[in-house]
Amino acid sequence: MSDTRFSTTEKDILQELMNIGFGQAAADLAQVIGLSIELSIPDIQLFKVCELSRHMAEKMAGEQEFSLVEQYFLGKFQGIALLALPARSGKKLVSLFGLQDQCNWSSENLEMLEKEAMIEVGNILIGACVGKITELLNDVVLFSPPRMMIQDVRDSILPNHLFAPGSLAISLKTVFHFERKKITGQLFLIANQDSIAWLKTALNTFMEQYE
Amino acid sequence: MIFKQIADMINMGLVVLDEDLKVHFWNRWMALHSDIPADEIVGRSLFEFFPDLNEPNFLRNCRSVFTFGNFAFFSQKLHRYLFPLRPVYSDKTPFDYMQQSCTMGPIRCRDNRVQFLFLSVSDVTEVVKYEEQLVEMNSKDALTGIYNRRFFETSLQTEFKRSKRHGRALSLIMIDLDYFKRVNDLHGHQVGDDALRAFATRVQSRLRQSDLLARYGGEEFVCLLPETDGPAARDLAEELRRMTAETQWVCREVELQLTISVGVAQSRPEMDGFETLLKKADDALYEAKAGRNRVVCYD
Repeated sequence: MSDTRFSTTEKDILQELMNIGFGQAAADLAQVIGLSIELSIPDIQLFKVCELSRHMAEKMAGEQEFSLVEQYFLGKFQGIALLALPARSGKKLVSLFGLQDQCNWSSENLEMLEKEAMIEVGNILIGACVGKITELLNDVVLFSPPRMMIQDVRDSILPNHLFAPGSLAISLKTVFHFERKKITGQLFLIANQDSIAWLKTALNTFMEQYE
Repeated sequence: MIFKQIADMINMGLVVLDEDLKVHFWNRWMALHSDIPADEIVGRSLFEFFPDLNEPNFLRNCRSVFTFGNFAFFSQKLHRYLFPLRPVYSDKTPFDYMQQSCTMGPIRCRDNRVQFLFLSVSDVTEVVKYEEQLVEMNSKDALTGIYNRRFFETSLQTEFKRSKRHGRALSLIMIDLDYFKRVNDLHGHQVGDDALRAFATRVQSRLRQSDLLARYGGEEFVCLLPETDGPAARDLAEELRRMTAETQWVCREVELQLTISVGVAQSRPEMDGFETLLKKADDALYEAKAGRNRVVCYD
C-alpha cells in the first residue's frame, strides 16, 4: 500500500498551496463570470472511503435543504467533486448567468433552467479549483460532464472504480460566497488514495523549486 | 497526418478556435453539415458565420477554457444546438435544426499553456426524438390522448406545493361517467372507447391552457385547475355536467345519452398534503354518484 501519511511540513505545504490555488481561482473566476466570489481557506482532511457519509454529515451539519452537483475529475489527481448549493439558489443563479435570455426557453421548464444554472456554476467552480491545484502541481485533468444528484448528500457513496473499498480518501473543502447574489455553498474535492500518494510526491517536487 | 484523417473521418463535428475565437480547424463533418468549406471559414472569426454564438454564455465558457483549462458542456436539454445545422433525416424529424450535445475543452501547447479550444459536436437528434416519444408515452393515456394518472399525480403534487407557497387558489374536479358499464355492455367496447375519446375531447376544449385534464381510471376523469377558487370550479363543473347531458353523443352511428357525476374540492390552508385535496374531491364525487348527473362541492 502506498504511503499516505502526511508529515506536518507536507500538511503545511498542501494548505499553503491550496490557499494560493483557491486564491488564484477566485481571482480568475471573478474575471470569467464578472462577479466577485470569495473562497474560504480550504479545510483538508483524510478519511476512510466507507466513512464518506459521516464525513459529509459532519461538514454539512446545520445546513438547510440543498442541491448537489457532482463531477468526476480524472488525471494523476483524480476523484469526485461535490458542490452543495442551497436548494433555492437556482433562481438567483439563472439571473446571474443570464440564462433566462436563452432564445429557446419556455417558461414551463423553469425548474430545468434552474437545474442547468446550478450545473453550470458547478462546472465552472469545480473546473477552476481543480484546475488551479493541478496546474500548480503540473498535472492536467479531464472532467466528466457534471450532473445533478437527487439523493441527500449525506447518503452519498463514492464510486468503486475510483475509490477502492477500505482505502483512504482526501477531502479538500471550501466555502464559497457570491457577494452580490448572497449565495453561499460548499465545494468538496474528494480524491482517491492513489492521488494522495501522487500529491505527496508532487508537493515535494513543488517545494524543490524554492529550496 | 493520421490524426488529420481521423478528424476528417470521424462521425462528429470538430472545431478548433484560437484565443481570438477565430477558426483554426474545421473538420469535414462540420463542412458537410454546415455547407461552409474549411478554406472559407479557417482564419476568420466564428461569429462572422454564427453570430448567434456571440452571447455571454458562450463567451463565458470560452473564457473559462482559456483561463482554467476547463471543460464546458452544452447540453441538448438547455441549448438544443450550438450550430444551426440541418437535421440529417430532415423529412423524418420534428426538429428544424439538428439537436446537438457539444463539449468544449482546452488544447495546450508544449509549455502547458492553453493555446486553442476545441468544440466537439454530436448529433443527438434521433436520441432526443425517441426520448420525447418515451416521455409522451409515459405521460399520456393511450386511448384518449389526454394525460394519464401518473402525470396527473405528479402535477397535482407540484401545483399543490406551489399554491401553498404563494397562497394561490387551486381546485380539483373529479368526474365519473354515469352507468358507463351499460354503454360497453349494450353497444360493445369500441363504442365505449369512442365515447371516452369524444368526451375527453369535448371537456378539453372547454378548459384553459393552464388547466390539466387526465384520465384517472376507466371512466373517471380529473381536471386540475390552478388559480381557480371553489366557486369558479363549481361553475365549470356545472357547465360540464350540463354540456354532457345536453349533447347528442353519436359514436359509431350509435346515439348515446351520457351524464356525469362531479366532485369538486378546493385547496385550503389547513390541508397538509395533496392527498387531502384528492380525498376531498373523491368524497364529493362519491356523494354526487348517489344521485347521478349532479355536482357536489366539498366545503
